[in-house]
Amino acid sequence: MTPAPDADAIVIGAGPAGMSCAIDLASAGFRVIVLDMQPSPGGQIFRALETNMMARPQTDELLSALGPSYRAGLALIERFRATPGIDFRPGTTVWDLRADGTVGWLRGNAAGYLRAPHVVLASGAMERPTPFPGWTLPGVMTAGAVQTLLKAGRLKPEGRIVLAGTGPLIFLLAEQLRRLGVRPALIARTDRLKDKLSALGQLRPAGFPALLKGLGWLARLRLAGIPMRTGISGLQALGRNRLESVRLIASGRTVDLPCDLLVVHDGIVPSTDLAHAAGLALEWRRDDASWRPRAATDGRAEMAPGPALTTGPRRIWVTGDARRIGGADAAIVHGRHATSAILAELRRAIGEPDGADRTGTAVERSLAARPFLDTAFPPGLAAQPPDDETIACRCEDITVRSLRIAIRDGANDMNLIRGLLRCGMGPCQGRNCSATLARLLAEAEPERPIPSSPFRARPPLRPIPLGALAGMTGLDPDLAQVESLDDKPEAIAGDDIHA
Amino acid sequence: MFAPIGSIEATMTVYLNGRSIPARAGETIAACLLRAGVSHFRTTPVTGARRLPYCMIGHCFDCLIEIDGIGSRQACLSPVEDGMTLRIQDGAATVPGVDIQ
Repeated sequence: MTPAPDADAIVIGAGPAGMSCAIDLASAGFRVIVLDMQPSPGGQIFRALETNMMARPQTDELLSALGPSYRAGLALIERFRATPGIDFRPGTTVWDLRADGTVGWLRGNAAGYLRAPHVVLASGAMERPTPFPGWTLPGVMTAGAVQTLLKAGRLKPEGRIVLAGTGPLIFLLAEQLRRLGVRPALIARTDRLKDKLSALGQLRPAGFPALLKGLGWLARLRLAGIPMRTGISGLQALGRNRLESVRLIASGRTVDLPCDLLVVHDGIVPSTDLAHAAGLALEWRRDDASWRPRAATDGRAEMAPGPALTTGPRRIWVTGDARRIGGADAAIVHGRHATSAILAELRRAIGEPDGADRTGTAVERSLAARPFLDTAFPPGLAAQPPDDETIACRCEDITVRSLRIAIRDGANDMNLIRGLLRCGMGPCQGRNCSATLARLLAEAEPERPIPSSPFRARPPLRPIPLGALAGMTGLDPDLAQVESLDDKPEAIAGDDIHA
Repeated sequence: MFAPIGSIEATMTVYLNGRSIPARAGETIAACLLRAGVSHFRTTPVTGARRLPYCMIGHCFDCLIEIDGIGSRQACLSPVEDGMTLRIQDGAATVPGVDIQ
């Protein structure tokens, strides 16, 4: 017999979407368990906000550099902390998710399974993987990584810094660094003026605040005299044991710059590892070089066709950036909207109505600036065909060349290539390379539809110590029974190469 | 590559390959070691190339390090603890006394 539910709902992720969803669910009388990898709530955007506020005045300089939009998260965090009925479990990693509402968790050296009739996936976004020659060298980091080091590490970069790529986060980070007295040697942008001109057609009044904010950052960076180039290509990180210099092509000329820290950013994409593992349908977006879950406006996830690991009703909802990239404000709106859909399904009312608009129209309005931003800052580093020497799989040091050779020799399936070359089989489980391999497959056969999903996922999605596995709680004896190979279509078809 | 913003109240000590490094309560191992200017956290099992953290939010797994004798832990997700013993992970993670190859 399946164990009883541990809560009325489990929310995965305590960022803006997860917090607003948990607050609404708990206010309606739900018992909600919230799991998050970090030690405190806030997600990446409000990372370490509580502790930075508590450490004042020591953190005054940092808080003023991070600006008012960072501090704005405090009200939501305080409400999240104060709402009865929320069982917040920080420092918890989720390594398994099933469509029937089963969640595998790890906290320290303890692990187990939890179950709820509703699971809300609010696991946010990741930076678009951007392979280029030398991107694995020590000294190359993402813009998100540097922001995390600012917020949670209270560290600022020093030395010769180059920012390369595209997207609003590049400007925000450069502006935050400027306020901390850090001057990048160059901001090398892949986007061009013509992207801005074509984006103007997408501009709606709802996008004006974002536009004004961006223009403000840009004006202050120009005023500070920080060199900026647009339309760059051919980015390379050079060095032996660590980054020593950066090479790129700007205005048709090769530029070499000595460099200690290369910060790259190519926009953000939904984090799909858990959705994919749960058997939810994903869709590949060629223009965006990324997958995203196929989910209704209210966050109701769609199952991928074919056999699944579990039977019974689908119990998963996807909210916030994990569904559609929109940033913190849009994530809050969507967290509320998804909750109202869950409550409507159960014919329950919102606990204490606060006047917030929880309709699908509010969701659409919150995302109104996206078409403009997406056109103004198209993927750059991830849009060019990667160079043969580039490492595609960071875990197993597999180059683009060896993947191209395997594809040319007839390996035309993601899982087959994983089996042949170990691409995607390392500790990151393909989080960094699956989109690159999908692009290489598309490059070889432009007519063929792109694989509708990344490498087939199997729990554990993240490493678990053996001791934690041995002492697991909440096990469902039925889950341990292997009754068929129904979830392995190739095995049934008699093709056992990569089953 | 990284310098503290303001003063850092380092009330703890961690040990990396025997070398003592001051640590601030609440920071991650990755932040602590980057502040200390550590050249790499691991070398890859395939080519022996050096790696430092890349994404800092638990996706890239390049910050893997040995923590208190257990290999392949994510330094960017693990908070420092006083007296923690860290080791740079050279090549594949090993289990003492066990041949896992």
